[in-house]
Amino acid sequence: MPRADVVVIGAGLAGLACAVELAERGASVFLAAKGMASTHWTHGGIDIAAPTGSRSARDGVERLAAMAAHPYSRMSGHVGDAIEAHRARLAGSAVALVGDLDTPLVPIPTPVGSLRPAAMLPTGQAASARAWAGDGLLLIGIRRFRDAWVEYAARNLAATEWPDGPRQIRAVEVDLPGLDRLNNLNARSLAVLFDEPAWRARAIRAIASAVPAGPWRIGVPAVLGVADHAAVHRELEDAIGHRVFEMQSLPPSVPGGRLFDELRAALLAHGGRIQVGFDVVEVERAGQTVTAIHTEAASRTLRLAADHFILATGGIAGEGIRAYRGHRLEERVFGLPVVGPEDGSWFSDDPMQPHPIESVGIAVDDRLRPIDAEGAPVLDNVQVIGSALAGMRYLEQRCGDGVALTSAHMAAQSLAERRAAA
Amino acid sequence: MTFHDAAARDFPPFSTDACIKCNVCTTVCPVSRVSDDFPGPKYVGPQAQRFRGPGHGSGAPDHSVDLCSGCGICTRACPAGVLIAETNNRARAAIVEERGSSIRNRLISDTDLLIRLGVPVSFLANIGLKNRLARWFGEKTLGIHRRGPLAPFARRTFSARWKRRRGLTSLADAPDPARTVVYFHGCAVNGFEPELGRDAVAILERNGFTVIVPRQECCGLPFISNGLYDQARTKARRNLESLAGFARAGYRIVGTSTSCTHALKAEYREMLDLADDDATAVADATWDICELLVDLHDRGELDTGFAPIPEPIPYHPPCQLKSHGIGLPAMELFGLVPGLRATDSDHDCCGAAGTYGLKAERWQIAQDVGAPLFAKVRAAKQAGASRAACDSETCRWQIEQSSGVPTVHPITILAESYRRADADSGGSWRRVV
Repeated sequence: MPRADVVVIGAGLAGLACAVELAERGASVFLAAKGMASTHWTHGGIDIAAPTGSRSARDGVERLAAMAAHPYSRMSGHVGDAIEAHRARLAGSAVALVGDLDTPLVPIPTPVGSLRPAAMLPTGQAASARAWAGDGLLLIGIRRFRDAWVEYAARNLAATEWPDGPRQIRAVEVDLPGLDRLNNLNARSLAVLFDEPAWRARAIRAIASAVPAGPWRIGVPAVLGVADHAAVHRELEDAIGHRVFEMQSLPPSVPGGRLFDELRAALLAHGGRIQVGFDVVEVERAGQTVTAIHTEAASRTLRLAADHFILATGGIAGEGIRAYRGHRLEERVFGLPVVGPEDGSWFSDDPMQPHPIESVGIAVDDRLRPIDAEGAPVLDNVQVIGSALAGMRYLEQRCGDGVALTSAHMAAQSLAERRAAA
Repeated sequence: MTFHDAAARDFPPFSTDACIKCNVCTTVCPVSRVSDDFPGPKYVGPQAQRFRGPGHGSGAPDHSVDLCSGCGICTRACPAGVLIAETNNRARAAIVEERGSSIRNRLISDTDLLIRLGVPVSFLANIGLKNRLARWFGEKTLGIHRRGPLAPFARRTFSARWKRRRGLTSLADAPDPARTVVYFHGCAVNGFEPELGRDAVAILERNGFTVIVPRQECCGLPFISNGLYDQARTKARRNLESLAGFARAGYRIVGTSTSCTHALKAEYREMLDLADDDATAVADATWDICELLVDLHDRGELDTGFAPIPEPIPYHPPCQLKSHGIGLPAMELFGLVPGLRATDSDHDCCGAAGTYGLKAERWQIAQDVGAPLFAKVRAAKQAGASRAACDSETCRWQIEQSSGVPTVHPITILAESYRRADADSGGSWRRVV
């Protein structure tokens, strides 16, 4: 059976970032996950905090930290370090980040033609957050690619109040070579095509010829290559002579996939191990100490023994927490106490309004250990990170990535310090 | 594979209701990465599943599910626990049941028959396998690609060698279950790579095990992969009949092919609906050989007198191994051999997928799927590696043929290390088979 200093459970942004940082600091790490998840659903940027009215991510963090139950209330002092650690890790890669805690939050266009606040974006999306300064926005769609409708987006954006926005908004669709002969077209298959230099050269020529004269900033579906993304983005900008940014549309998320690939490679490069596809089915404990977990296997189970365990299984969306009829909530690995709204008050009457159930999660102490209703830790060597934490509404507060990275960093740092002391 | 709830365990298609349409499976599918004809796991799996079953007439909305290679990567990536690959395989079986199968598919699935025909005339058969004209003819008449990875037949089967050695085939003197294992050699060892079986037995005996090789047939996996469930069930039932008694008596069943052992552990139940006590007992008793050796090492019982093998070696963990859910035991064992510098290929699939890469109409897909792996293996050779390692036979043959780099089972490396240790100490390692 594999043995490790630390077993991380979950392969979303929090689990991956924590596992990588622990491995970088010399710990032996085994990451076990039931499946791949959040990175492949989201836009690949880093949402640190943007509750309504925030000027910057730092301002947003301060606003959220003032809320007693919010995860930032006990983590806000670590956000800067965590973000910088993440930025340093990705520096030089195709998913390197632009922007930081103090970058003003600006509205950037979404593929449905709404605006969302953003400050920290991967290089391929960064041009959407630069001051428009007289530039127009040209959305370029790809004919037959049904997951991004640029005319719809442009029409909605034109009807949206956008302070200091683009001078004008237009949309064009282009035919890319050979797509009419294909049976299947999704973001991933297009991105794979862009990785191929010969096809890419022809596609870039087709896109460049569709750009009318004028000062433009160009938004395209997020399909500009997987492994070769940096080159695709650069070559496209060079050919067009304008700045280009990607807009993530329906899943699968290509930018999120690139982030997953980058972090996974970093984990392997530092000697970490990863197994995806098997749920935790059993936990061994001695008092308040977890000694091993068992993951499902084709027969029997795989026993993973470790000194420390990191729970990064996500909330309801990630299935770290299951919600059942009768208002029952269950944390699926350790059976930890779940903090959620009172019975019967899970949902708002208006489906488009925030729902109380969104804040569901595990309450933790200052060391991120899970606690009971009295505030006493229920497990000593387990730390909870990411969207399994109680008290946030990451859709509305746009804090999911920041909480994931900060809690991951805190857990990794505290374990590294304890290992160094031991 | 993963059983997230009881209903899915009993009938994988039930698990498709859990699909949240997130498309993670689409991003990891090696076949849809290279072939536009395959819409990807989500479409042929959970989406198409709504149009299958009673009341829908046909066994499947279209043929595209037949392009699934069955690697199982989608099932492992799925965050919702949908048994996608298993559902696809059942859909293929329904198509086969309705529309029949080709002679080619029935022939290449019947490895026991091929071995019975090929081994006695191995000299001639192997000339034929290497002969371009014969292979061209085989492609034109049967649809077996002329460059499909086929291993040469052995001169004598492993089971014949075992008989000649008068090895144990039954529990005549009831040895201790803790120190006795049943070896499931599979077709690859029996008809093509008997040296691997010899090394496996030698390693097990060196570590204090008595080895029994009872009557056995092909595990049936090639039939399962080709949707020929009736034939697969016949094989499975005969194997269960032969193995269940050992399993119930507490003996472990050890295999050197992660494909066969996965069939015993999972596919008999997940695909063939063989969920009786015999199947469960055999599944619970079955071990991959590297898994067993790591377990032995955990207990401090593995002979770790490995002599140094100072070389780099690229290791490709096959898809079937990953579906075991046992981590990468070969990598842990490689770590015990001084000087051996094993690196995980970190590539999803070699493309072969059992018989998939042999088929004329699938060969190019299989090559494209494995191309990055072949490049990595060739690069490793440039950097000083003399061979690659992989736990499943058809993957080994595919990697060897397509990269030009000899590819061996991890057990071969470990046996060599033991042999060197014996040579260093002046002793010689008993030839056991």
